[in-house]
Amino acid sequence: MNGNKFSNQFRTCEATGLKVHLPAQKLFWVNAVSAVVFLLVGAIMAIMVALTRGFPSAHIITDSMFYQFLTAHGTNMLVFWIVFFEMAGLIFGATAILGSRFPAIKLAWFNWIIMIIGAIMVNYSIFWEGTDVMFTAYPPLAAKSPFFYLGIVLFAVGALIYCFQFLIALVIAKKEGWHEGSLPLFTFALVTAAIIAIFTLLMGAITFVPALLFSLKDWGLDLGINIDPAVFRLTFWGFGHSAQQINLAAMVGIWYLLGTLTVGAQPVNEKLSRWAFFLYIIAINLGSIHHLLVDPALKSTYKIFNTTYLMYAAVIGSLIHAVSIPAAIEVAQRKKGYTKGLFQWLRKAPWSDPGFSGLAISLVMFGFIGGVTGVVMSVEQLNILHHNNLRVPGHFHATVVAGTSLAFMVVAYKLIPLALQRKIVSEKMAKIQPYVFGIGILMVIVGMTFAGIMGVPRRSWDINSLGANIFSSGAYSMLVLVGIGGVVAFIGLLMFIVNAVLSVFFGKKIPSKIEIHNPPYETASAKAVTAES
Amino acid sequence: MSNHDEKEIKTPGTFVLAIIFLVWFIVIYFVQWLALSDVWNLN
Repeated sequence: MNGNKFSNQFRTCEATGLKVHLPAQKLFWVNAVSAVVFLLVGAIMAIMVALTRGFPSAHIITDSMFYQFLTAHGTNMLVFWIVFFEMAGLIFGATAILGSRFPAIKLAWFNWIIMIIGAIMVNYSIFWEGTDVMFTAYPPLAAKSPFFYLGIVLFAVGALIYCFQFLIALVIAKKEGWHEGSLPLFTFALVTAAIIAIFTLLMGAITFVPALLFSLKDWGLDLGINIDPAVFRLTFWGFGHSAQQINLAAMVGIWYLLGTLTVGAQPVNEKLSRWAFFLYIIAINLGSIHHLLVDPALKSTYKIFNTTYLMYAAVIGSLIHAVSIPAAIEVAQRKKGYTKGLFQWLRKAPWSDPGFSGLAISLVMFGFIGGVTGVVMSVEQLNILHHNNLRVPGHFHATVVAGTSLAFMVVAYKLIPLALQRKIVSEKMAKIQPYVFGIGILMVIVGMTFAGIMGVPRRSWDINSLGANIFSSGAYSMLVLVGIGGVVAFIGLLMFIVNAVLSVFFGKKIPSKIEIHNPPYETASAKAVTAES
Repeated sequence: MSNHDEKEIKTPGTFVLAIIFLVWFIVIYFVQWLALSDVWNLN
């Protein structure tokens, strides 16, 4: 076999034997580094917000700064950090996992550039122009200039093209003979994430393009467009909550991957796990309506039907994963001889491996806190207990931070050596980081949840300004817990950022062979297709 | 598909964890309705 024109673009990872497409590796690098940069921006905003909420009388930042910082915290954490990391994940899942190539490399670089320009534009609008519409940006709140909306649209367009490129990469892997048979479960999870992402980003376009056109008035261009706040709210959550479902699919895929990388776990019933991902695709975005359960513009039948009967299909998917991942770990551990009693397999698990400890903390906090509170909040009558108080951020810090962000952080410890050929600079710091971050974020979640139960509103710079003696001393104690937990979580986050950045730039280089890699399942017709392309 | 032989799939520990999760969910769900009944009296 003479190979095709891409055959000399691969290296072989000495530890895993994976074939890594070198142009894709550069794309992975740039997306992962971008993710960590925006994580740092979001983290600095997070600590300022947590200290302001935790110690309201101290007024650590001014009221106008608080809402700007909250806007920056939401957009940098929920959108830029997570989506850039997911783009890196899509590139890795379509190439290194399948031993395949990534198509249209120049287009992929173009996507990254417009995503970066978009993210910088949004941050410019927040920090320099003073945009403080927060993550939801509900009208009649308006950004200070069109840059905010234009930035989000550019970012979404770049990410959308990446998703299509990922799907095309899978077709190419099959067509050119790089991969044969079913997709590995991790890549299958990424397909789920990409499909949800396409829906999400289109909803983002439907929401933010009219807002952008409306905002052009600020630049003297009145197109006669008006924004209906009720429609904006509805379409926004098609974007805002669905974006978190991309995280969910990617995170669960990472849980399976971490189970395999740390204890050699294999899914006990892979077909069932795939069905669980399929349930996400068909049902999970309907759960977005739970954000609008107190919205008078929507009928109760519509809200209840979406957030209970239909959304429960996706909840069943999550329950399947929640059982099948520990089961896979238990089977793998018992095979190694840890068969004593009910839990020897768990006690003897590699708790000093950040990949395993991070997986366990992420899974437990996501399921026991985030998942349970999410289902409870989606019941229309019960939702009124949560609406607009601190229980809501308590819920989503359990899902998006303790769940998704922690899973992304610990998988980075595995991917930096594997995909970027660099050793982790401090293994010791990596070992304790998931625990430090986990304890900190648990304090934040518990503080927020109980403060919310005691009636403390979310998104409030100073609850004392609402009037004297409204809140009990218990509520203030819970806010202090948020502040202290925020400091601990921030330290945990910095431990990750410092370790990851130093490893990527200065970590010891792991040798890797550059060698010809021909498509192992190449057929005569596939050869002809490759030659034509 | 899975590489496991069906005979080797024994997961009693996971079963106990799943039961703990179920009990936790029931308790949280029940407590929410109790809290709602406290603030929303119907007669």
